[in-house]
Amino acid sequence: MLLPPLSASAKKGELIAVIGKNGIGKSTLLRTIAGLQPSLGGEILYSGKNIAEFSKNDLAQNMGYLSTETVKVSNMSVYDLVSLGRFPHTNWIGKIDNENHSAILNALEKTAMTDFSDRYVSELSDGERQRAMIARIVAQDTGVMIMDEPTAYLDIGSKYEILHLMHRLSQKSDKTIIFSTHDLHMAISQSDKIWLILDDKLIEGAPEDLLIEGTFDHLFDSSPVKFDSERGTFSFKREERASVSLTGEGLMRHWTEMAIHRAGFSISEEKGFPGIVVPSGNSDHWQLITADTTQNFCSIYELICGLIKENIRSI
Amino acid sequence: MKTEKKNVTKNTVASEKQQSLLFLILVFLIISFLILDIFLGSVSIKASDVIKALFNNTDSNFATIILKFRLPKAFTALIVGIALSISGLQMQTVFRNPMAGPDVLGISSGASLGVAFVILGFSANLSPDRINEFGNWILAIAAWAGAGAVMILIMFISTRVKDIMTILILGIMLSSGISAIVTIMQYFSNESMLKAYVIWTMGSLGNLTSSQLNVLLVSVFVGMVLSLISAKMLNALLLGENYASSIGLNVKFSRIVIFSCTSILTGSVTAFCGPIGFIGIAMPHIARILFKTSDHKILVPGTILTGGAVMLASDIISQLPGSETVLPLNAVTSLIGIPIVIWVILRNRKYSGIF
Repeated sequence: MLLPPLSASAKKGELIAVIGKNGIGKSTLLRTIAGLQPSLGGEILYSGKNIAEFSKNDLAQNMGYLSTETVKVSNMSVYDLVSLGRFPHTNWIGKIDNENHSAILNALEKTAMTDFSDRYVSELSDGERQRAMIARIVAQDTGVMIMDEPTAYLDIGSKYEILHLMHRLSQKSDKTIIFSTHDLHMAISQSDKIWLILDDKLIEGAPEDLLIEGTFDHLFDSSPVKFDSERGTFSFKREERASVSLTGEGLMRHWTEMAIHRAGFSISEEKGFPGIVVPSGNSDHWQLITADTTQNFCSIYELICGLIKENIRSI
Repeated sequence: MKTEKKNVTKNTVASEKQQSLLFLILVFLIISFLILDIFLGSVSIKASDVIKALFNNTDSNFATIILKFRLPKAFTALIVGIALSISGLQMQTVFRNPMAGPDVLGISSGASLGVAFVILGFSANLSPDRINEFGNWILAIAAWAGAGAVMILIMFISTRVKDIMTILILGIMLSSGISAIVTIMQYFSNESMLKAYVIWTMGSLGNLTSSQLNVLLVSVFVGMVLSLISAKMLNALLLGENYASSIGLNVKFSRIVIFSCTSILTGSVTAFCGPIGFIGIAMPHIARILFKTSDHKILVPGTILTGGAVMLASDIISQLPGSETVLPLNAVTSLIGIPIVIWVILRNRKYSGIF
């Protein structure tokens, strides 16, 4: 895997999202930063010192690593797993003395895993296991945490829980967290900085900077996915069928608009036909007004069906 | 009490108190089995005569049986059990494969190839019951080299093939291949060499000369020390190489230490006692079940004690106390080990995360 020539920086306490297409080398980049594989060229500086000059143990005291690789060890308690994070801090036999013990308890507490301490890792849910894995890095007491897709394979609830945890760790415990993700929406809303890897370069900046510059548009140049810079969401590039005028306010308008967009219509500012009136006040129906008729619908689903039928007839 | 506890907190870890109690019980078992192994045998000797033979320098026939035969045999059983069990534990963790063990992956075969090279390749004078201390070391080192070579080969395979079943099948292939080579060597060797080798393959715990026992004792002691040192590394390796490396383990160095340890242990035992099956694969599982932990600081000593105790018990059973027949040891260890292995497979059909 060949990454484009790149240079990026991270400050203490920053939550940094690494974004890029599949196979562009996000994992390779993260593994190289974590010192798990030698860099093919260039250098990685940590506190002004090249990581290649760190001893294995020193590096482990400064960089923690998490990947999508699941740990399947039965008979391993959460406490045991977290205590492995103390590896670079313990003596040759790996003795857990009082200092290490309190570091482990502290890590469990920070990740809200204290109650799970005596549970077996193999019996945890995916989200809990990921939290235990993060607790392990917290126990490792590193300034930098590298996480390769920490929220992959998790359900939405656990996803936000993990992200929230990462956010808290970076803010309260002053950890620098560099993580890769495919969830652009999440990355934009939560991270302090984004490293966007494109085919020919890496762009870094606050998510909002990148949004304003329209950088995300390049991410999916060739695919039918389009990034909507205004909303911070994705949509498919579609051929537009026709334009519709829309009257209405608030939440009803927002979701009706979404549905109209999805059906492939655009919304025009001028009054015209067909026109849609969103329920408001004492009316709880959607009205579809065409040149000759007015139809009432009691759900967005029916409205869209009616709109499409009308559109086909007018052609 | 036990069932009640299961219902409430099924997932609690064994407490330190329970673990120390287990250690005490195991030590007690080893001592009692050791004594039983000396007192019981195919020739029935009165307890008083045994004690007399042990503590008074009498010259009776009984004393010869006790001091020259039963005592070394009991200690050999203990050492062999310890050695095979540690190497099983280490291999299961390093290969992250619950079915790994010295005999399953062909490590024992590798060791016997080393022995075959010495016995069949050089001289019948090096047959196990006729050689001196120096020759015994050569035999042991050849077995270590053979075991180590197979281990490196398996390691190389397992970096490419992740599937546990595939690796097991390849291990069986490897064993068969090695025995084919040994058969060819047998075909070309002369009569006395062949006889020496065949006698070796029948090997048991009782045929060791005192100089062989010395070699075995020294190598297993070295192996035990190495295994205790490697406990921390083994813990890290539980997470897989990537994580192990990320928490500061020098993976290459740890492999060299652990592989040398396993080769020394398996090699020495195979060199002097012949291939003994299923102890290496089954004992670590018993230790895991007893101690309910994945921490090698507990598992290594736990496996050492379990292995020693079970091997002593197997030796007692193989003598069929009260009768004059002696069962082949390999049959006894297989009958003890195989049900455990089957149970482990059935308990977790997906083959993953057994340890």
